[in-house]
Amino acid sequence: MSPAGRPDRRIWRDTRAEAAEEIAFHLEMRARDFRERGMSAADADAAARRRFGNVETISRQVRAIDDESARQKRRTGMWTDFRQDVIYALRGLRRAPSFTAVAVLTLALGIGANTAIFSVINTALLRPLPYADGDRLVFVWNVRDSGQTDNLGPGRMLDLQRGATGFSGFAGIAHISYTLTGAGDPERIPGSSVSSSFFDVLGARPLLGEPFHTNAADPSAVVLSHALWKRRFGADPSIVGRTIALNGRPRVVLAVMRPDFFWPSITARPGASPGPELWVPGGPGDIPRTAIDEDRDMTGNRNAGYLRAVARLKPGVTVAQARAEMGALGDRISRDHPGDGGRSATALAIRDQFFGPVERPLFVLAGVVTLVLAIACANVAGLLLGRGAARRRDLALRRALGATRFRIIRQLLTEATVLSCAGAVAGLALAWWGSTALSAMAPADFIGDQPLHLDVRVLAFALAVSVVCGLAFGAVPALQLSRDALAGALAEGGARSSGSRRAGRARDVLVAIEIAVAAVLLVGSTLFVNSFLRLTRVDVGLDTHNLITFDVNLTGERAQFQAKQVQFYEALQQRLAQVPGVRAAGAAATLPIGGDDFGTGFLPEGYPVPDEASVPRAGYQVVAPGYFAAMGITIKAGRDVRASDTREAAPVALVNEALAREIWPGQDPLGKRVKFDSTETAWTTVVGVVSDIRHLGPSVPPRPEIYQPDSQRSFPFMAFVVRTGPDPYSVIPSLRRAVAELDPTLPLAGLKTMDEHLERSLSKPRFLSTLVAVFGVLAVTLALVGIYAMMAWSVSERRQEFAIRLALGARSPLLVRMVLRKALLLAGAGLIAGLVAARAATGVLTGLLYGIRPTDPAAFAATAGVIALVALAACYVPVRRALRVSPVSLLR
Amino acid sequence: MTDRTTSVDLLQGTLATLILKSLSWGPLHGYGIARWIEQITDDELLVEEGSLYPALHRLQAREMVSSQWTISETNRKVRCYSLTEQGRQQLRAELSRWEKFSVAVSRALSARRPSKVV
Repeated sequence: MSPAGRPDRRIWRDTRAEAAEEIAFHLEMRARDFRERGMSAADADAAARRRFGNVETISRQVRAIDDESARQKRRTGMWTDFRQDVIYALRGLRRAPSFTAVAVLTLALGIGANTAIFSVINTALLRPLPYADGDRLVFVWNVRDSGQTDNLGPGRMLDLQRGATGFSGFAGIAHISYTLTGAGDPERIPGSSVSSSFFDVLGARPLLGEPFHTNAADPSAVVLSHALWKRRFGADPSIVGRTIALNGRPRVVLAVMRPDFFWPSITARPGASPGPELWVPGGPGDIPRTAIDEDRDMTGNRNAGYLRAVARLKPGVTVAQARAEMGALGDRISRDHPGDGGRSATALAIRDQFFGPVERPLFVLAGVVTLVLAIACANVAGLLLGRGAARRRDLALRRALGATRFRIIRQLLTEATVLSCAGAVAGLALAWWGSTALSAMAPADFIGDQPLHLDVRVLAFALAVSVVCGLAFGAVPALQLSRDALAGALAEGGARSSGSRRAGRARDVLVAIEIAVAAVLLVGSTLFVNSFLRLTRVDVGLDTHNLITFDVNLTGERAQFQAKQVQFYEALQQRLAQVPGVRAAGAAATLPIGGDDFGTGFLPEGYPVPDEASVPRAGYQVVAPGYFAAMGITIKAGRDVRASDTREAAPVALVNEALAREIWPGQDPLGKRVKFDSTETAWTTVVGVVSDIRHLGPSVPPRPEIYQPDSQRSFPFMAFVVRTGPDPYSVIPSLRRAVAELDPTLPLAGLKTMDEHLERSLSKPRFLSTLVAVFGVLAVTLALVGIYAMMAWSVSERRQEFAIRLALGARSPLLVRMVLRKALLLAGAGLIAGLVAARAATGVLTGLLYGIRPTDPAAFAATAGVIALVALAACYVPVRRALRVSPVSLLR
Repeated sequence: MTDRTTSVDLLQGTLATLILKSLSWGPLHGYGIARWIEQITDDELLVEEGSLYPALHRLQAREMVSSQWTISETNRKVRCYSLTEQGRQQLRAELSRWEKFSVAVSRALSARRPSKVV
């Protein structure tokens, strides 16, 4: 009995039938033996069974052993196969170092770009909010007649707080900056005055001490942020209970918040720029204090709109329900109290409030890097196909030796995944470097002041991306080559087979796709770069060079009376003007480009105002004499504000040309009169017209502005501007000395040049356009490499053909035409597909672009030109090579 | 019956070695192995022949033996077992261990009474 059949290597077997068969044979043989010794057939069967033992038990045992062993084999089999594949793949990659280097570098660029952008998204959008159940928090906003959201007044806020049924907690917030004195230079510190319930609503726990609680707040208490505690108090562990001086009054430190407690400055426009560093309880009636930190009772005040509010939803209440309730409640309050600055109210989920405006730019970036990765994958798929062409014999041999098609596909996919993991490792290195650069470059409202880091989530992302990529770019060649192997490439002697033609077609498609994707990205980057260049060339209406700005905030008695404020400002301005190197000095309550923004409604004399909603609005500026000259804003008609425009004199104002054009077209605005409020008795007379500026930054066109003299209306805060010679920074020490001579306890906040403000206002478009441009160039470069590799391969495959043609007398130009025709056909097809796709896709960029439409024909034309040039350039070397074919060497 | 079961239990571990030995001359089916053991042990060892099969399949799971389905001389489907290289090594190891063991035991059993130490 010799082992005739093939070894039994089936994985799935019917162990029950096999055991039964085996035992039946045994019993039969034994019974036959017994019969031969003379037993009757029935006795022999019974004796055989007796001798065997319990057939059922033994059969069960045998089956259990077989099943368990089969299970184990499957497990270890898969693992060893996998290990084998990995080792095999690594060996193969080591043998082809230039292929490996190009593929890994390509993937590293693609995966690295994705990982770096994901690290920004991870920090900006996915980070957990450091509040208990943070997604149950909403912000409550006033809705103005214009439909814009705005701050609440105390009366309105209390009405909403009392009327709401959907909230389990509610806290008002006011931003005030505080002057911290004692222990070092006086410093202005952004802070918040908040309702006593603030920390309870957020559910935020402190690092040290215990913050104030709902209806139990010592009015002289303060809670510090971790950053402030570290910076200003050297992380002193015994800080709790100590008294510090804020705005000249003593406050007791109650608690220090944890380092991850993140609370941005809350504005009616969503955003998450770095926020307050200390929190104090509200004033009388638990209402957050106004900017000058006085003890006035604001309960029921309906004129001052300076409050933000955060609320916690009751269990089961959705954000939409809260928004509906606030809307209805706001409508009713507006009917009961007309003219308290609002038409309705609304609620906004905390994530939308914090991260809403950065979502779209980040998603655009994510889309861009995904496309770059797609090109990288197509490139590597092409490389693998080309490499596979050379390996057809090897794979066919493996098929012949018994490997299944599934096994070969699995091996090729493992190879691709190994390659892509190698790419991911290199990509992570790139991403690590890139995220450092991104940290420095990202605008503050993207990531706050947190550094980007590659945490577990980012690593998991990179791993997932690389596996998905491996499967994606491995699939095409794996399916292709395994089918090829099936066709029996062993017999093939080296001539072009149907398999290699198929691989060539697959590769042509890949190249066309690559060109299409590159075209989409190139259109996008052209649009962004164009938009950014236009932004930087915008004339904002003032001379931003050599202009220093800083803020002054008055505290104490000096802040309480407008006369004293103005007196101080005048004295300071005079001193500044005398500093050597200073050419002019001026002051305004709010600065253009990056400063705060006040607006006002106004009623021009004789101007029809049918209802409250049609009251014209303008930006509202309070300026000191000399401000326009210092800023480089031209007075087009009339005069500047003067010190003689006192509160006792007739109220005057200047307007800009935009306002004059809109309200008094074709008329002389000088001498026209306006009121700011229908209850005002005195008219304000226009005494001057100034040139337009872009107060909100380069991207927002000039709007109507009204300027009033600070001597008639002033605030306890003022921004100063100082025009200097060519080196503004050299003047700064003297400016500091000048201020200190006047008042050593006065901190200089926000000391920056106007150019720096301008830079900052451009940081978001610069960030976006730089990244999109970098990725666009990257995409085109990768596409170039892809086309080059494709052409090189196709030329090398046709070398024999070329040689024959040359030998038969074909002229070189004909060969060049043949090669170029193919390349240009592919490029043309890809380009058309890409431009069509871009036309459909660039719509998402509306609102992110300045001064250029997403369908700008020039951008599309430029893209077409560049892609055509790139396709031609990629053909240069392969064509040269085709022409250098020596007929003799190849025909042999 | 009782004393025979005991001896079977004692010898059960040896069954695996016996199976390997039976296959050392060439492939056999389960019944063939049973017959061989029967002949060389005078029918003493396998009270219940069925117990051979779990032992065989366990050896197969440990890759000491492999099996193929073939057609017997009676023209019937039958499973034949043969020794693998691993099984051959195992048999060699068992034999040398058994030899050492039996030498040591027989030396011990034939030893004379130790002389008294003063």
